[in-house]
Amino acid sequence: MRDIPRTLLAAAALWALPWSAAPAANVAPNPDGLPPHEIQDLDYGDVLFYFYQDDYFAAITRLLAAQELNLVPHTQGEAELLLGGLYLSLGEHVEAGRIFDALLAGNTSEAVRNRAWYFLGKTWYQRGYLTEAERALREVTDTVDPRINAERYMLLAQIMMRQGRYDDAIAVLQAWRGAPSWTSYAQFNLGVALVRKGRLDAAIPFLDAVGRLHSDREEFLALKDKANLALGFALLQAKRPAEAKPILERVRLEGPYSSKALLGAGWADASLGDFKRALVPWVELHKRNLLDAAVQESYLTVPYAFAQLHADGQAAGYYSSAIDSFDAELKRIDESIAAIRAGTLLERLFADDRNKNVSWVYQLKTLPDAPESRYLYVLLASNDFQEGLKNYRELNYMSRNLESWRDSLAAFDDILDTKRVAYAARLPKANAVLAATDLDRLRRQRVEFESRLDEIERTGDVVALGTAQEQATWARLKRIEDYLAAHPDDPELAEMRQKERLMKGVLYWRLDASFKARLLNERRAVRELGAALQETQHRAVLVDQAEKTVPADAGGYAERVLSVRNRMDALQQRLAAVAERQNRYLQALAVDALEDQKRRIESYQLQARYALASIYDRASNGKPKAAP
Amino acid sequence: MNFKRAVSIRLGVAVLVCAWAAAAGAQTPAPPPAAAAVPAAPASDAASPADAPADTKTLDQEVQGLKKDVIDLNKDLFVLEEELLFPANTQVAVFLSMDVGTFFALDSVTIKIDNKEVANYLYTEREADALLKGGVHRIYLGNQKVGKHELVAFFTGKGPADRDYRRGAAITFDKGVGAKYLELKITDHVAKHQPEFMVKDWE
Repeated sequence: MRDIPRTLLAAAALWALPWSAAPAANVAPNPDGLPPHEIQDLDYGDVLFYFYQDDYFAAITRLLAAQELNLVPHTQGEAELLLGGLYLSLGEHVEAGRIFDALLAGNTSEAVRNRAWYFLGKTWYQRGYLTEAERALREVTDTVDPRINAERYMLLAQIMMRQGRYDDAIAVLQAWRGAPSWTSYAQFNLGVALVRKGRLDAAIPFLDAVGRLHSDREEFLALKDKANLALGFALLQAKRPAEAKPILERVRLEGPYSSKALLGAGWADASLGDFKRALVPWVELHKRNLLDAAVQESYLTVPYAFAQLHADGQAAGYYSSAIDSFDAELKRIDESIAAIRAGTLLERLFADDRNKNVSWVYQLKTLPDAPESRYLYVLLASNDFQEGLKNYRELNYMSRNLESWRDSLAAFDDILDTKRVAYAARLPKANAVLAATDLDRLRRQRVEFESRLDEIERTGDVVALGTAQEQATWARLKRIEDYLAAHPDDPELAEMRQKERLMKGVLYWRLDASFKARLLNERRAVRELGAALQETQHRAVLVDQAEKTVPADAGGYAERVLSVRNRMDALQQRLAAVAERQNRYLQALAVDALEDQKRRIESYQLQARYALASIYDRASNGKPKAAP
Repeated sequence: MNFKRAVSIRLGVAVLVCAWAAAAGAQTPAPPPAAAAVPAAPASDAASPADAPADTKTLDQEVQGLKKDVIDLNKDLFVLEEELLFPANTQVAVFLSMDVGTFFALDSVTIKIDNKEVANYLYTEREADALLKGGVHRIYLGNQKVGKHELVAFFTGKGPADRDYRRGAAITFDKGVGAKYLELKITDHVAKHQPEFMVKDWE
């Protein structure tokens, strides 16, 4: 009863993770595929308590500590698999790979092996380690859950496409079978791979099928737009504009790909020689935000179409306005590059990110309100940038975490000092007590007492266990008896002799009747005395040991505190240095993106200037100026 | 504008769209990330045939090594803290586990040892959920002298029919020279349609 709901819960939670993951996210740790978890090690349950709250840093710390202290003896295999998953969640794919490799070399079930290889492969893919990713994904067998298997082959195809191995990708995708919701993605990727191999006619049915999808879901509508855009541009490149135009017109006007589609639709008309019709989408595009590359392009295509229609005046006006707009944009880009180089980009990105856990689902989705932000949204979609951001964020989190230990280390010093002081104060007292206690004499007395009891039992000396009063009475009767024995012929003593015999008999009977009980009591007392002496002896040994070990222990702890403090200092320096390198790397990515933008606009501006000059030449001389 | 210029613009468009489409592919949220989209000359292909750039890998590897060292140090600090503050000869740890939870929604737990309150923990929904999934919360870690002690735990929450519910459970335990582990267990008694509260002594 207990395990079923938990297994389902765990399975549901863990299934949800990889399928809903945004591409730049890390892979979730995954103890799924393990036997149902009955609590065998409380400390392992404690690790899971943090793991299930997505607090992976606390979980991995506790798990490593529990392993070091041998507190998870019954759950070693599960613990190792979880540890590998936790390392993955923190982006530590090298360490995770080492653990999984060791685990997979051992005697693990196929289900566990498959899931371990799958998650390892997916993580390597996301980190750009394509060769390692392919190796891991190929280790997964086809007996794995069909949903995972479908995603596995999709990932393999994407690896091949990223490596330019389109024939391999085509083969994998043509054999691909999976859930209907994934079929469109497989068809899209297959279409793209075929186009890249120059097999446009073979690609058309696949891209066209995706381009005609019926769905209300935004993700499929976006995929549909992408397929139509890809096919439209492929047809344009193949000089088939008449076929391209209706395909491009399928792209939604309000969707994220509409600008590119408008640009392409204009080119389709222009390629067919209908510049008047081409102006319709291009002018619409011209009204949009200049940040968009397609809009920038329209600043050239609109006047180009006017020029083709011999409306030189309008063409010149648009070219002039384009040159001014490009000028202003270039100035803004230069300012943004300077701002990014000043180094405050990441600080602002993470301004509200303090005290949050390190999470595998972390992905930055919004940018700070700054002039340079408007250019950087495209960067947010880049895996390199997101992975770099995640690394930077994790480094900062770890630095804060280490810093938080400093107060604890100071407290450890205080504790050790207090222990030293207490030890110095208690030692003389303990030594005095021990010196005043002769444990050997006490032990001898106990042995003698036990021997005496043995003798009493052997001889049946019931009087020996009588009370003091009984023993005094017995002694008195003995004296009377002796007196009577000394006067055997005195008739006056006959009555006394009878009384004495009676009283002695009564006393003996009483002593004899209680003899066993009294003997047991005495033996119990001896045993208790023995135990007390043993405890005293044990404590004396402990005190003796403490006298020798406490200073050494305190010294050992002090050394450990010193050692971790030194490591902390060294790590903080490394963290700062690597975070700075990471910062520079991200800045470089951002600046590269802006430089690309700048180069593109400069190129457009140059073309606009020459086109404008050409129009002026034509107006003044009646012949065009040569192209740059 | 002559034809040559027009072609150069057109090629530029294709390059732009290709780069944009690749980025768009990476943004796709839930389903499998689609590969880069639009056909273009291989030289300008955003998904070029290469693994991650070498310098990125080097930095990534350095970051990984560093994070591993931090994780190890954090573990050492954690172990040092536990050994120093709660040595085994006096350590008593109390854990809380929860099974199914059909008849009880946990709000808080109070623990008294020898009639002295040592822990009072209010559970968030997230924490209670982690318990239901199989997590075990170490609610108390402290020091107790060797010998006999009495632990009393009070559980409050919502019982059957969403009624306020408060129950107690007690145990007398013997603290020896090794660390003592106790588990507070909340289980469902299906036959009685009631939650059950027990304390288990892990020898």
